[in-house]
Amino acid sequence: MRSARDIAEHVNSGGSAVQVVEEALERIHADTSNAFREVFDQSALTSAAEIDRRIIAGESAGPLAGVPVAIKDNICTREGRTSCGSKMLEKYRSPFDATVVTRLQDAGAVVVGKVNCDEFAMGSSTETCHFGPVKNPADPSRVPGGSSGGSAAAVAAGLVPVALGSDTGGSIRQPAAFCGVTGFKPSYGQVSRWGLVAFASSLDQIGPFTTDTADAALVFGVLRGGDPNDGTCEPSPAKPCQIKPADLKGMRVGVPIQATTDGNAKSVSKMMAEVRDQMSKAGAEMVEVDLSLLDQGISTYYVIATAEASSNLARFDGIRYGHRAHAPGAGPDELMALSRSEGFGAEVRRRILLGTYVLSAGYYDAYYNRALKIRRMIRDEYLKAFATCDVLISPTTPSTAFELGGITDPVEMYLCDRYTVGANIAGIPGISIPFGEDEQSLPLGLQLLAAPFADEQLLNAAASIEALRDQAGIRGARNA
Amino acid sequence: MQIVSTRTVVGMEIHLELSTQSKNFTSAPCLAHPDRWDAPANTLVDPVTMALPGTLPVLNREAVELSMMVGIALGSDIPDFCKWDRKNYFYPDLPKGYQISQYDLPLCVGGSIEIETESGPRTIRIRRAHLEEDTGKLGHELPGGGKADGSLLDLNRAGTPLLEIVSEPDLQSAEEAVTFARELHALCVFLGVTGGVMQKGHMRFEPNVNVVMTLEDGSEVATPIAEVKNLNSFRAIKGAIEYESKRQVEQWKKDGVEMGPGRKATFGWDPEKMRTILQRSKEDAHDYRYFPEPDLVPLRVDQGWRDQVRSRLPELPQARRQRYTGIYGLPEKDAKALVADPNFCFFYEEAIENVSSEAAHATAKLLLNTAAKMANEHNTTVPELGVSPQQVAALVELRASGDIGSNAVETIFGLLCQEDTDAAQIAKREGLLQVRDEGAMDAWVAAAVAAHPQAAQDFAAGKDAAVGRLMGEVMKQSGGQADASAVREKLIATLRS
Repeated sequence: MRSARDIAEHVNSGGSAVQVVEEALERIHADTSNAFREVFDQSALTSAAEIDRRIIAGESAGPLAGVPVAIKDNICTREGRTSCGSKMLEKYRSPFDATVVTRLQDAGAVVVGKVNCDEFAMGSSTETCHFGPVKNPADPSRVPGGSSGGSAAAVAAGLVPVALGSDTGGSIRQPAAFCGVTGFKPSYGQVSRWGLVAFASSLDQIGPFTTDTADAALVFGVLRGGDPNDGTCEPSPAKPCQIKPADLKGMRVGVPIQATTDGNAKSVSKMMAEVRDQMSKAGAEMVEVDLSLLDQGISTYYVIATAEASSNLARFDGIRYGHRAHAPGAGPDELMALSRSEGFGAEVRRRILLGTYVLSAGYYDAYYNRALKIRRMIRDEYLKAFATCDVLISPTTPSTAFELGGITDPVEMYLCDRYTVGANIAGIPGISIPFGEDEQSLPLGLQLLAAPFADEQLLNAAASIEALRDQAGIRGARNA
Repeated sequence: MQIVSTRTVVGMEIHLELSTQSKNFTSAPCLAHPDRWDAPANTLVDPVTMALPGTLPVLNREAVELSMMVGIALGSDIPDFCKWDRKNYFYPDLPKGYQISQYDLPLCVGGSIEIETESGPRTIRIRRAHLEEDTGKLGHELPGGGKADGSLLDLNRAGTPLLEIVSEPDLQSAEEAVTFARELHALCVFLGVTGGVMQKGHMRFEPNVNVVMTLEDGSEVATPIAEVKNLNSFRAIKGAIEYESKRQVEQWKKDGVEMGPGRKATFGWDPEKMRTILQRSKEDAHDYRYFPEPDLVPLRVDQGWRDQVRSRLPELPQARRQRYTGIYGLPEKDAKALVADPNFCFFYEEAIENVSSEAAHATAKLLLNTAAKMANEHNTTVPELGVSPQQVAALVELRASGDIGSNAVETIFGLLCQEDTDAAQIAKREGLLQVRDEGAMDAWVAAAVAAHPQAAQDFAAGKDAAVGRLMGEVMKQSGGQADASAVREKLIATLRS
């Protein structure tokens, strides 16, 4: 399948957007990964026809003209449903489009449907999705990762060149690594969250899944920029993101000691050794970095994220919308409790309970307040690291994709996010790019991190490593 | 042990709805704005108000500025930095399942209000004032009456900016609490930050009451604190505090329970039975799980912003009183009466726009006497009588010119309340214009002297009291059209020169 920039160029120079979209819809309908929750055949074709009309009329159609895009099920679209992978919102229709959806459409992209995710983005395998798990296109017996598993699978299976996901603790980068595509989480505050159904507001960030870094930059340029509807989004003007592969020579590349010494699968360690070797050869200066707080990340993350989630998900009470229990004669408290018990799945209930607990009187200081303190320390540690290096590299995940149903212990599942949560805690940008495969031909992902708002620098560095990878004949994106 | 004396202690929490154009965290129109007071249910609602998935709050700058105005008027500090917190609890009228509020770092810190008490003026300290949002309303009655099948939810009020002002426990009686409440109410209405209509819940009071008892042995014992929720009339404030002052002493005599941690209870007020009702004892109190609101960045206030808001402050009640006594020469009592009810005061101010200080004085007298009396008789307020400030101003001018007599003022004022004409036209139509024709005056005076020779002689001899009979005769002769002061002058000139 062609990249987003190829499609846009093709359509902008007279190629048929309708044809591009028809082909995408055909692939989607033939797909068996359960990536898609809902397909917008009619509206997608109408939008594509409009793009074609504009181009024939000599109007500009935008940098993503005719590019089919899939949207994670926790991002609001006026078209179709916004279910967040939950029974709670199974029939919910949003009366408005998320800012990112509007921006994509204004840039000429065609939204072809919604893709499945873990329930309210809580999970690392897309197995908590109420509408069934998504299969990894690289191996259908394995999970695609999560929570944006549908987005990763849709791009990896070649159904669409671009999908949007959201990343709270690794939910873009981890599935990108598991499926073998590029997943980019921008700095916190770069992309508007208006229309993203909140999981943990101080950690959530929307980003793209693409085939490569150049496409990620293209989409990022469309998404970013201030939004009057989101006060946490930096009020910078929207502007395109031009990618310029960075010179590896002299680039200071930090490698956390903690990311190479313990807990990684053999294939993952091998990948890291390979990356270091190649980058040194290309002239990069490899710097050992001590991220002593890396292993505090998961516990810090699960306190802050669940605390915020317990509050963010309080609105789902069955009163105004969403699942309402059939409970004739029940009082308001009972009705709300029943509706929530029925509407939420086990993982969501677990996290709401945990979050409620850590915010409770008597436990607040021991958990929530402490987590906030460690959060500041973690951020400081990253900032310190970026004083001596331009980017940090690590594996995206400690292992490759696991079997569907292979992990049942929630804590073991949480550890999948070991390398990814730091970026959310610190608010820094992170990207996962495919970098070879393990002995079972499962994709491996390399993560790059950069300083706050050094998103372009991060993308430029990623593009250079991508080039290095391709030169070395190491397998890149699955759909390429 | 016997109680020797008791002392009531009251701290007040006030919820003030700010009359902004839009809600506190979204652009949906605000119910507390005068244009929307009568909006039909659920017409002031948008996705943020509904707490639809994917929505985010955005802070309303106007709400912050109106809050700052209140803080500045109270003499509060407006710190450089304040933040937002979530107060979490489930209730069907709370769409998000949490209220955006300020927990440990409020917008306004400290301040005070001076009130008059039986023992002279006293300062009531303000602890803090923080900005938050109001809830929706749960009802059980259909619009237009009739019981609904189930509960009804109206989200018009949800998200209205609410300034919560908290006083220190400096109030010592129900009367003081009411004085404080009235003073604060007047202040906020003068500031223009609220409609101030108590029945609409624009200002809701929650007194925290307990009683300190001195016992025979000289020791002091305090009763557990009762918080009475949501009082929206001054009468209710007085009643609730008086009731609690008695109830708590009786309760202590029965169970001996004293003030202490975990013993505060929450009460409601039954305005018909004039008693408080226990709503919640501490055992089942909420744990609100406050934590910093991650959807809003903290608020930074600099000196420039503070100064700019300060420059928006209108004239406050105290300054107005000083103007009335100083420039218009009104007695302190009248100045206070004018300022007591802001709408009355605004009416007065409109009537005295562009007039001399003598006219301002006369207008005050007219409003405080004739107008207030009439309002009282009709069980309403002066601004509601139907007369406009401009009509009042014209009436005062007519009287000052001497064209009408003092007796005509009340009659004309009564008619002005019922019709749109001006005072001069009414005076003419009703034959109330005073005649100042010298010839006619001479004839009436001559006739009066002829009719009452004894009185004329007495008056000429210096007996002032005798003038009454003569003036009465002149008035009779003139059919009430003579100007009383002109008659008096004429009599003096005729008989005493």
